[in-house]
Amino acid sequence: MSDTTKQSGVWTAVKELPGNVWSSIFRNPLPSSDLERASTSFTNFFLHIHPVKVHKNTLRPIYTMGLGLISFFLFLILVVTGVLLMFYYVPATTQAYDRMLDLRGSVAFGIFLRNMHRWSAHGMVAVVFLHLCRVFFTGAYKRPREFNWVLGVLMLLVTLFLSFTGYLLPWDQLAFWAITVGTSIAGYAPLVGQQIKFLLLGDTTVGQEALLRFYVLHVAVLPSTLVLLIAVHFWRIRKDGGLSRPEKTGTEALTMRSEPAPNVAVSVTAVPVAKKRLYGLQGFVRGPFTKIGNVPDDSVFSWPNLLIAELFVFVMTVAIILCVSLLFNAPLEEPVNVMHPPNPAKAPWYFLGLQEMVSYSAFWGGVGIPGLFVALLLGVPYFDRNPKGVGRWFARERLLANTIFLTLVLVNVIFIVIGTFFRGPNWSFVSPW
Amino acid sequence: MPIAQKARREASEVDDRVIARRRLLTWFSSVGLFGSAILSAFSNLVFIKPRATYGQPARFAIGKPDEFPPGTRISLDVRRVCVVREGSKVAAISTTCTHLGCIVGVSDTGFACPCHGSRFDQDGNVTGGPAPKPLPWFKVSLKPNGDLEIDKGIEVPSGTYYNV
Repeated sequence: MSDTTKQSGVWTAVKELPGNVWSSIFRNPLPSSDLERASTSFTNFFLHIHPVKVHKNTLRPIYTMGLGLISFFLFLILVVTGVLLMFYYVPATTQAYDRMLDLRGSVAFGIFLRNMHRWSAHGMVAVVFLHLCRVFFTGAYKRPREFNWVLGVLMLLVTLFLSFTGYLLPWDQLAFWAITVGTSIAGYAPLVGQQIKFLLLGDTTVGQEALLRFYVLHVAVLPSTLVLLIAVHFWRIRKDGGLSRPEKTGTEALTMRSEPAPNVAVSVTAVPVAKKRLYGLQGFVRGPFTKIGNVPDDSVFSWPNLLIAELFVFVMTVAIILCVSLLFNAPLEEPVNVMHPPNPAKAPWYFLGLQEMVSYSAFWGGVGIPGLFVALLLGVPYFDRNPKGVGRWFARERLLANTIFLTLVLVNVIFIVIGTFFRGPNWSFVSPW
Repeated sequence: MPIAQKARREASEVDDRVIARRRLLTWFSSVGLFGSAILSAFSNLVFIKPRATYGQPARFAIGKPDEFPPGTRISLDVRRVCVVREGSKVAAISTTCTHLGCIVGVSDTGFACPCHGSRFDQDGNVTGGPAPKPLPWFKVSLKPNGDLEIDKGIEVPSGTYYNV
């Protein structure tokens, strides 16, 4: 008797094996009710980064343009392609350039991966900067999101430094002279400039030590720093009450709170009752957020609304990078020739505004003005305490702040255009047509 | 009653002593922890600052004085120095641009930088472009075996020649 039950037990176990394995990994069936939709986000490791419900405003494409998400997906592409490229790269002055040629000639998909890495890097610099502009123009850095803005500015700097360190690794003429110029700019920083330059290069000039140092910074130190900052950035988005949105929602929440008390006579008792029903699902999050009960709100379930939006952005990002990488090859110039700098020697495009300013004054162009600009960015949320104009593009209340910022951005863009198209040999002014 | 009061006072004195001791210990351990953090950060900095570099030595021989005939200006690009010979006098002028470290080329009027268009006269003084400082001059000496030696570690005032 016991024998047969055991047999049937084993048999049942075998029969139910696929289902049991499946349900041990995925705790919920595909959701068909609100409760299941909530628990799908809640119980999945990869999905629980999302709140169970998000405000409709979060999903408006025209509000965020998905720029932060695109930056993150570009970073993912960069990590994957970067790790793959590491299998073939050697950070030695005698081998680095040959390895670039090998990627082109003998490694399967080598040139394609290098293209993807290069174009994603350019894209990430651009998109991270656009994300910063979006957050500024929508006033999204204001209380309580000041610190997340600071983290964002730090991540922009890490992104630029990542791009700068990666620039040296192919060890071609472009790389060598851009880094020679770039590290000399660092040397102009007051007091510690020369020390920083020496620490960066590990020598007085760009050579083997510099290549090794830049490699370690590029593949280990800076990416891990960025991963940490991204994690805190994402975490803060939720803890600061989700994405910023127009204040209108705030007033809606206020009216909701007083709605159960239309009669003046009962309002005194009704208000606390109403308050009791309005609490955040996530515990101590700031600001009006997900409500429980039959309160009408403007939020939708993350599964599937947010997930589909994210998937769409991801697919588009990957598709565009793949297309660009198929169509255009990443540049590779002559191998390093210490004796013959190219004329003109130009930095990557996003540093050309800097290089243009540097051609007027090395200290002010390379250290002074960029330093002031970064200090200004870091300080903005702590000096602009006006709570108005959050969550809308170019809000009227923020006319002054937006004008100043737009001017600075345009000046940088103009300098980049001049440096890219209007500068010839000896950095003299030339006409591109 | 007095006994209870006394006991209470003693208890509060003990409490005060315990709190004071706790404060002191907290203070000591904070100083210890932050001190070690600062020390380890500092030692990391010491670690990544190389004591010896693998690049070119600052002091090197460039050959016999006869290899630099009077009236010539020979640029040794690898060493990033230009050897100037006038009569029996020899000098070494840096060819690393003081602007952003590119190698300046010898031109008719002195030196010109290909990167941002800085110009220098024959003695390395700035005549145009963004360079903030004149090109430095380095110490030249004669080795016992008759070779000229340049020490890029020692800068000499502009116009200081070595008599061969």
